[in-house]
Amino acid sequence: MKRNLVMMLLVLAAPLSGCLEPIEPITADADGGCELLEPGRESDGVLRLLTYDIAAFSESMLGEFTNQTGYDIELIRTDDAGGILEQLLQTQQAQQADLAIGLDNTYLQTALNFCLLQPHTANVSGIATEALQPYDGPLAVPFDQGDVCLNYDETRVDGTNLTVPTSLWNLTEPAWVGQVAFPSPVTSSPGRAFMSATVDYFEHDDDETTNAFDWWRAMADNDAIFTTGWTEAYEIHYSGGYGEWVEGHLGDAAMTVSYCHSPGVEAFYGGNWTKSTSLTLPRASFHQVEYAGVINGAAEVTAANAFIEYLLSESVNRNMPENNLMKSVLNGATFPGTDGYAHHTDVPSLNAEISNERIADEMEDWIERWTEATQ
Amino acid sequence: MRLNPRLAQVPLSHWLAVGLVIALGLFPISLALIRLWAVTGISPLSALTMVQDQPGAMEALQFSLLEGLASTVLTVALGVPLAWAFGRYQWKNLQLKRALLFLPFVTPPIVAAVGFLALLSPDGFLHRLGFDLHAESGFMRFLSERSGWEEPGHFVALVVAHVWFNLSLMIRFVEPVVAQLDPAWEEQLALLPAGRSKQNRLQHLWIPVLGPATLVAATYTFFFSFTSFALVKWLAPSANTMESLLGEMGGTAGIAGYRVETSLAVLGIATLQMLLMLAMLVLAGRFERQHSQVLSMHHEVANRARHGRPPRPLTWFVNGTIVLLLAPLVSVVIASFRVTTRSGSGFSSSWTLEGWKRAWSGDLSTVPVLEALTNSLTYAGLAVLVALPLGYAVASCLVTLRLQGRKRLAGVLDSLCMLPLSMSAVMVGLGMVAGILRWFPDMFTFPYLPVLPHVMLVLPFVIRLMVPAIERIDPMFAEQASLLPLSSVAFWWHARGSFLLVPATMAASLCLAFSMGEFGATFLVVRVGSWDSLSILVDQVASRPKFDPYVFPTAMALATILMVSTLLVLSINERARAWRKRHDV
Repeated sequence: MKRNLVMMLLVLAAPLSGCLEPIEPITADADGGCELLEPGRESDGVLRLLTYDIAAFSESMLGEFTNQTGYDIELIRTDDAGGILEQLLQTQQAQQADLAIGLDNTYLQTALNFCLLQPHTANVSGIATEALQPYDGPLAVPFDQGDVCLNYDETRVDGTNLTVPTSLWNLTEPAWVGQVAFPSPVTSSPGRAFMSATVDYFEHDDDETTNAFDWWRAMADNDAIFTTGWTEAYEIHYSGGYGEWVEGHLGDAAMTVSYCHSPGVEAFYGGNWTKSTSLTLPRASFHQVEYAGVINGAAEVTAANAFIEYLLSESVNRNMPENNLMKSVLNGATFPGTDGYAHHTDVPSLNAEISNERIADEMEDWIERWTEATQ
Repeated sequence: MRLNPRLAQVPLSHWLAVGLVIALGLFPISLALIRLWAVTGISPLSALTMVQDQPGAMEALQFSLLEGLASTVLTVALGVPLAWAFGRYQWKNLQLKRALLFLPFVTPPIVAAVGFLALLSPDGFLHRLGFDLHAESGFMRFLSERSGWEEPGHFVALVVAHVWFNLSLMIRFVEPVVAQLDPAWEEQLALLPAGRSKQNRLQHLWIPVLGPATLVAATYTFFFSFTSFALVKWLAPSANTMESLLGEMGGTAGIAGYRVETSLAVLGIATLQMLLMLAMLVLAGRFERQHSQVLSMHHEVANRARHGRPPRPLTWFVNGTIVLLLAPLVSVVIASFRVTTRSGSGFSSSWTLEGWKRAWSGDLSTVPVLEALTNSLTYAGLAVLVALPLGYAVASCLVTLRLQGRKRLAGVLDSLCMLPLSMSAVMVGLGMVAGILRWFPDMFTFPYLPVLPHVMLVLPFVIRLMVPAIERIDPMFAEQASLLPLSSVAFWWHARGSFLLVPATMAASLCLAFSMGEFGATFLVVRVGSWDSLSILVDQVASRPKFDPYVFPTAMALATILMVSTLLVLSINERARAWRKRHDV
């Protein structure tokens, strides 16, 4: 009996052995330099992509890459861009994937600070300047882009019931009580991008006594709707989008955060008709760029570089607007004219100017202040 | 009962199994708490005292309590009369009706969630009954105007879905009490002054007799509603239960040097949730003991015959409820063939097979349905292969200890083995992510990782089915087998194994069904890795931006496949149950 109990205790204690030391992350030195890490696994001819649920990666698109290069592909999908960063951080010293696809410019600098990416050798000529503007270094390559901004329902913001705002402060007025839905910057990439834009917007407005978080507090006081993700804000609350024919729709918000080209996508799928449009106030939009980067500790570096080139090829990247609902990063790229896609897409005159480095340094603080302001 | 000497001792392998099962239940979540403690530098108890400062925590607690309470009250109000009517009379197709009433409880939560969404759509059945989420017409408008509550729609939809899900618990606990109650009690009471009116009989007979069973079912209803995840995610997306809040934040928790405030929030909320769930289970256990004391009983068939056919209003009530219970499931199938497209400012619906085509080919850059189904079946099959022998070994150990008179030790081990029951699916997922993956990152590439939380979640059910099955075996069979020159394996088979085939089949089919429909734990694990099961695929596709009108029919087609697969697996359980009844084993 005693022997058996001892055996049982041994079984119970075994999983605890050797795991009580937390893994400390590797970070870049003061000059931003990082050492190249050993591959986290053996090379096996399979290219592992760490990505989120990117709609552009169809079976046929991936199959074509395998036909061209001979490399098999395995997808490791996380929930979103934040999920990619989190898994890279977690497996930092034993990376299991080769290429990270989908980190955006609100997450990229954090990945660089933690030495999660290594220089690529892919030939990436032909990328437009606007896509390279947030980051043009050797560690990440843009593959799609779009401007995050406020969208509104033209049938409600019609100049009678509600007027088109000329300042973000207009949204704190009584007419806008409970009319704006925001995805949370804590859990949503567009939410995070828009919050970053507001920081820049209020640093450049005429009033030096208030900042972005005063505005967020005023929005919360004005019964703004805060949701976990973009889907809840756009699909359930926003009355101007496709949500109104989707189950569970409420339609209580006349304005929400989405992309400036979302009205174009609405028109593209809606037979060249939409009642949604964008609010492109200067500095109240954020130019979001999504990146591909070879992971520091990848086993299939050559294949990863080949995939970056494939992702930037004319046949793949020019189709981003239809396949991934984002704009191509190639020179001269536009949204297609079909069914009003380009016609209903707005281009902001001036996006927020906020560097990746500043975002990485201050995001934690902004999120804390945002949470405090909106609670 | 005296055990044959060859079965009277607990073998070492069974002790090891008990140890392993307890370790499985304890270690992932313990490691998760240690990890969060290490990352934040704050102990779980200190984090608990800071929980009110965590964003969304108090709102989630309030919402969990409110919707849990509303769901419980409504489930009791509808479930008790239903169970009473169903238990009292002689019903046609009793077994079939019972199976249909049980169906919601074993329906994968994600299927139930999208089924209710389909019912609430402008084309849907509930919408036509006045459940307009906009509160612009029907019952919702009435409720909104009377209560001043601007948007009651999502809350009411969630509560209705919880009632749908938990009604079977009422049937499971209350119906047998009604069906087996000695009719002499009712007859004798009717002769006494205290039993002359309906109200008096209710007060002096039905409430005392049905009370404990109702309380057990109500406690579990509250428990399941409080920890609801998939239904909240889809039907009340603007609100959070503590469970869904943990599901949202859990993927980020436990990373050293990154988003430490999220780790702290998860630590505090998880500790609070665990304590609350433990309290609920203790309460349920206490009610269950009271419930077992009042089960004095009479033969069910004779009882039903005595009361005869049900009156017409009750027939309508029971049959109507069954139809309503099936409505969300039927809606899923119909919605998989319907598409709503826009033309100018209007929109129109039409029939289509496109959703099924896309589901089959994986066109939306998801894995094709066959791959996801294979993954689901693989995880479920492996979970059964691990859980069944482990569950048997634990059950055998517990029965042997009780027969040896070591009831206290058996009770302690039993409680420890049931620990995963005191954790919600998301908590189990948190154990996987923050407890296992954060400490052992190499596990990210282990293709069968979801099997582990599935084993944890199904093991208590296997043990609960196996213990009474082993106890029912007549020790004479072991005595007789011991007289024959049999090897130890042959002896075990003749004395015990052959009698466990049916309960083992039932346990296996239930485990397969639960594993295939499991959502909360896998959701959290998939948040950080790539293990696409069919229920996760339904959620992924349904979460896609629906600019493209075929996204929703595709999700519904996937949900239909998941539902049909689960029902096929469960039908094995029903066949086994029927076989056992016929052969009285």
